[in-house]
Amino acid sequence: MNKLILILLLIVSVHYGMAQKKVDQCIACHKANGDKPAILFSKDLHFAQGISCADCHGGDASKEDMDESMNKNAGFIGVPSGDKISEVCSNCHSDQLDKMNNSAHGKLTVKGDQKILQCTTCHGIHNIVSVKNVASPVHANNVVQTCSRCHSDIAYMRQYNPALPTDQHEKYLTSIHGQLNKKKDANAATCANCHGSHDIRNALDVRSLVHPANLPKTCATCHSDTELMKPYQIPTDQYEKFAASVHGIALLKKGDAAAPSCNDCHGNHGAAPPGLESISKVCGTCHVINADLFAKSPHKKAFDDQKLPECETCHSNHAIIVGTDQLIGTTPEAVCSRCHTETKNQKGYWEAAQMRKILDSLIYEEEETIRLITEAEQKGMEVSEAKFKLRDIRQAKLETRTIIHAFNLVKFTEAANKGFAITSEVKSAGIKAIDEYYFRRWGLLAATLVITILAISLFIYIKRIERRNTAK
Amino acid sequence: MEVDQSKRKFLKYVLGGSLTALAAMILYPIVAYLRPPKTKSAEVSSVKIGKVSEIPNDSSMMFRFGTKPGILVRTQMGEFRAFEAICTHLDCTVQFKQEMGVIWCACHNGKFDLNGRNISGPPPRPLTPYKVIIQGDDIFVSKI
Amino acid sequence: MEKKYWKRLYNWFDERIQFEDIIQFAAKKYVPVHSHSIWYYFGGVTLFLFIIQVITGILLLLYYKGSEDLAFESIQYIMTEVEFGWLIRSVHSWSANLMVLAAFIHMFSVYFTKAYRKPREITWITGMLMLFLAMGFGFSGYLLPWNELAFFATKVGTDIAGVVPVIGKPLLEFLRGGEDVTGATLSRFFAFHVAIMPAIFTVLLGIHLILVQRQGMSEPLGYEIKPENEKKTMPFFPNFLLRDLLLWLIVLNIVALLAVLFPWELGVKADPFAPAPAGIKPEWYFMFMFQTLKYIPATVLFIDGEVLGVLLFGAAGLLWTLVPFWDRKTLRGEKNRFINYLGIFAIMYIILLTILGYLE
Repeated sequence: MNKLILILLLIVSVHYGMAQKKVDQCIACHKANGDKPAILFSKDLHFAQGISCADCHGGDASKEDMDESMNKNAGFIGVPSGDKISEVCSNCHSDQLDKMNNSAHGKLTVKGDQKILQCTTCHGIHNIVSVKNVASPVHANNVVQTCSRCHSDIAYMRQYNPALPTDQHEKYLTSIHGQLNKKKDANAATCANCHGSHDIRNALDVRSLVHPANLPKTCATCHSDTELMKPYQIPTDQYEKFAASVHGIALLKKGDAAAPSCNDCHGNHGAAPPGLESISKVCGTCHVINADLFAKSPHKKAFDDQKLPECETCHSNHAIIVGTDQLIGTTPEAVCSRCHTETKNQKGYWEAAQMRKILDSLIYEEEETIRLITEAEQKGMEVSEAKFKLRDIRQAKLETRTIIHAFNLVKFTEAANKGFAITSEVKSAGIKAIDEYYFRRWGLLAATLVITILAISLFIYIKRIERRNTAK
Repeated sequence: MEVDQSKRKFLKYVLGGSLTALAAMILYPIVAYLRPPKTKSAEVSSVKIGKVSEIPNDSSMMFRFGTKPGILVRTQMGEFRAFEAICTHLDCTVQFKQEMGVIWCACHNGKFDLNGRNISGPPPRPLTPYKVIIQGDDIFVSKI
Repeated sequence: MEKKYWKRLYNWFDERIQFEDIIQFAAKKYVPVHSHSIWYYFGGVTLFLFIIQVITGILLLLYYKGSEDLAFESIQYIMTEVEFGWLIRSVHSWSANLMVLAAFIHMFSVYFTKAYRKPREITWITGMLMLFLAMGFGFSGYLLPWNELAFFATKVGTDIAGVVPVIGKPLLEFLRGGEDVTGATLSRFFAFHVAIMPAIFTVLLGIHLILVQRQGMSEPLGYEIKPENEKKTMPFFPNFLLRDLLLWLIVLNIVALLAVLFPWELGVKADPFAPAPAGIKPEWYFMFMFQTLKYIPATVLFIDGEVLGVLLFGAAGLLWTLVPFWDRKTLRGEKNRFINYLGIFAIMYIILLTILGYLE
C-alpha cells in the first residue's frame, strides 16, 4: 500500500514538474496583465513552434518570480532596440541577417544609431506569420504596401537618395502585375519577386536581380514557367528568344550595358507590353532614324489599318536577329512576301525584288573588293589608303539598310549607289596594286636575263683575252 | 680566222647590246623616280585640313587622319575642336548636328557634347580628341 | 670608225692632264694568282656596294623627311607613291646589309693572309675604321624610318653606349641629342648618316684606295718567298678589272633579286609612349655583341656586367685594329698559327652568338 502511494506521488510530482515546465511563465504573467505583445504572440508562428519569449528576450521562462525570470544573469536583455533586434533574430535566422547587412538596406539611418531596416520593420513583431499566410505583411497581397510605406514617402526617401524615384507604387498599379495583384492574385510579381527580399541591391550593382544584365533571367523565373503562365495564356519563350537576339547577345554575352533589357521596352514598375502603335516609338528611342523613316513611309498607314504591330511585324519582338538582307525581297524568307505578291500589292512586290537585287550586288561587290585588297596586301603591296575607304563601304551599307525603312526605291538606290562608287574605286586600286606586283616580278626576270647574257658574254670576252695573253 | 672574226664581232655586239640594255634598265627607274609623283605626301601625324576662313561658326568638317575619319567642329563662339569621328559604342561614323548642338551617332542615337563627352545613349566613352593648331589661316590637326 | 672620236676625246684630256704616267703605272700592275686570289675581289665588292649605297641614298634624300612627324610617312610615300621608290628603298636596305657582310669577309680574308703586315699597316687601320663606320652607318640608318623596332633598338643600343665608364653619359647624350631618344635623336642620326660619316668615310676610303693602288696587292707569305719566274700573275688591266666587273654584275643581280622578292618591311610608326614590343633585337651585325652582354652576369667582382662587356669588346676591337703592330712573327716572315687560331675563334664566336641571338 505504501509503495503504491509513493509511486502515485512520484507520478503526480513528475507530472506537476513537467506541467511547470510547459507553462511559459512570461506569457502567463504578461497575458494576465493584458500586455499586447503577449496577446499577439499566441498567434505567432514562433509560439506555435514552442519558442518562448525568453528565447528572444533572454531570461528564464520557467521561473514565476520576476526577479528570477527577468534576471540579467539568466540572460535577460529586456526590450531590444535598434540593431539588437535583428541580432536577436539572427541567433536562429543568421542567413537572412547576413544578406540584409550586405544589401542596400544594410546602411545606417540618417541618425546613424542603427541600420535602416530591422527584421521586424517588414515582418512585424510578436505576430509574425509565414510569408505564405495572407496575414503576413510580406505576403504577396501585402508586400507592395509594406515596401511603399517608405519608398513612396518622398520626404523620407529624399533623406537617403534624392535621385531615387518614389512613384513605383503608382506605376505598379497601372501595370499588368499590379492589376493582378489588386485582384489578390498571389502569382503576380510583387516587389520581392523582382528585387529580392533580404539581399536587395541597387539596380546598378552587378549582383542585383534587377541589374540590366540579370533582369531577363529574373523576369524569366515566372515568364518562362509554362505551368505558371498557363492561366494567363501568354507565351513563355520570350527569354529564349531574347537571349538569341541581337539585343540579348549584346547585353548578356558582350556585356554592352547600353543594350535594352526587358524594362527598357516594357517599363519596370509600370510593366506592360507597348501598344501596337507605340512599338515604333519605343524602338525609336534608340533607332531614331529607322522609326522616323517608317513613320513617314507608306507602311505606317498600311500597318495601322491592318492592326499590324509596327517594327515587330518584320523584326519580331524578342527574337530580333541582325537585320539580314534576307528580310528584304520576294523570296519565302523575306517578310515583304507576306503582303506583297505578284498579284497582290504588286508595286511593293517589284520594288522589294529590286531592292533585294541591289543589296545582293552591293554585298557581292564588297566581298570582291575585300578579296582583291587582301590579295594585294598578302603580296606585300601597300594598300592602307584603299583599306581606309572600306570603312566608307560599311557606312554605305548601313545607310542602305536604314533607308529601307522609307520603303522608297529611289532613295534606296541613291544610298546604294554611294556604296557602288566606293567599291569600284577601291577595286581598281586593288587591281592596280596586284598588277604592280606582277610588273615587278616580270621586271626582275627581264633584268636577270639581261645581266645573265651580259655576264656570260663578259666571261667569254675575258677568257678570250686571257687566251690571247697566254698565247703571247 | 674568218670564223674567229665573225665570232668576235658577234660577241662584241652581244656585249655592247646587253650592256646598253642593262644601262637602260638601271637608268629608267632612276629617271622615273626623279619625276615628282602627282599625289602629295600624306602627312599623317599632323594634317592640314583646311582654312579658318572657310569654316563658319557652328559648323563642322569631316577629314581623314591616317587610317581614321575625323570631325572638326567650330563652336558658336568660334572655337575649334577636333575628334576621332568613330563612335565609342559600335564604331559608326559620327556627325555634327547643328540644330541639336551635339555630335550625334545615327546608328543608335548616341550623343556627344562639343567636348567629346558622351552625354546620352549607348556610347560608353567620350570621343578620342585631337589637338587643333591654328597657324595663320591654316588649321592643323595632330594627335594629342 | 667611232675609234677616231674616242681618240680625239682622249687626246683633248691628255693634253691637259697628262695621263701618260698613270697609264704606264696602270699597265704595269699585276695581280698575283694563287689559291687565295679569290679573296682579292671582296674589297671591290664592298666598294661596289658602297657606291650603290651612295647612289640610292642620294635618291632617297630627294624624298625623305627627317623629322619625327614626317619620317615614317615620307618612307611610306616613297614605297607607295614614288615610281620605283620601293625598289630604291629596298635596294638601299639590302645593299647596306650585304656591304657590312662583304666588309667583314674582306677584313677576315686580309687578316688570315696577314696582308696587314708592313708596309700595309695604314691600309689595315683605315680599313678597320671604315668597318666600324659601316656598322655606324647601319646603326644610324636603321633609325631613319622612325618605326617601332628601330626606335627601341636605338634606345637599347645607345643605352649600352652610355654604360662606358667616365665618358658614357656625355657620349649617350651626344648620340641622342638629349637624355632620351626623341626627334632630336633622329635629326642627329640623319646628320651622322648623310653628312658626317660619309665625309669621314670618303677620306678614309681615298687613303685606302690610293695605298692599294700604290702598293699593289699583298702576296701571301707562301707566295712571297717563291722565285719571281714561278709567280703566276695576271694584269690588273684589263683581266682583273673585267673579272671584278663580272662579279659586280652578279652582286647587282643578287641585290635586285633580294629587293624584289624580299622587299624591306616598314613596320609600325614609333610611339615613344607605347611599351617596348617583346624581342627587341639589333641588326645582325651587332647581334653577337648584344647576345654576349646577355650572358655576362649582372656583376662580376666589383664591376657592372654590362660595363665589363663593353670594355671587353672595346679592348678586343682595339687589339684587333693594332694587330700589325703586335704580330711580331709575321713581321719576321714566320707563320703565325696563333693569329690563325685567334681568327678562327673570332669567326666561330661571332657566328655562334649570332645564331644564339636569333634562336631566342
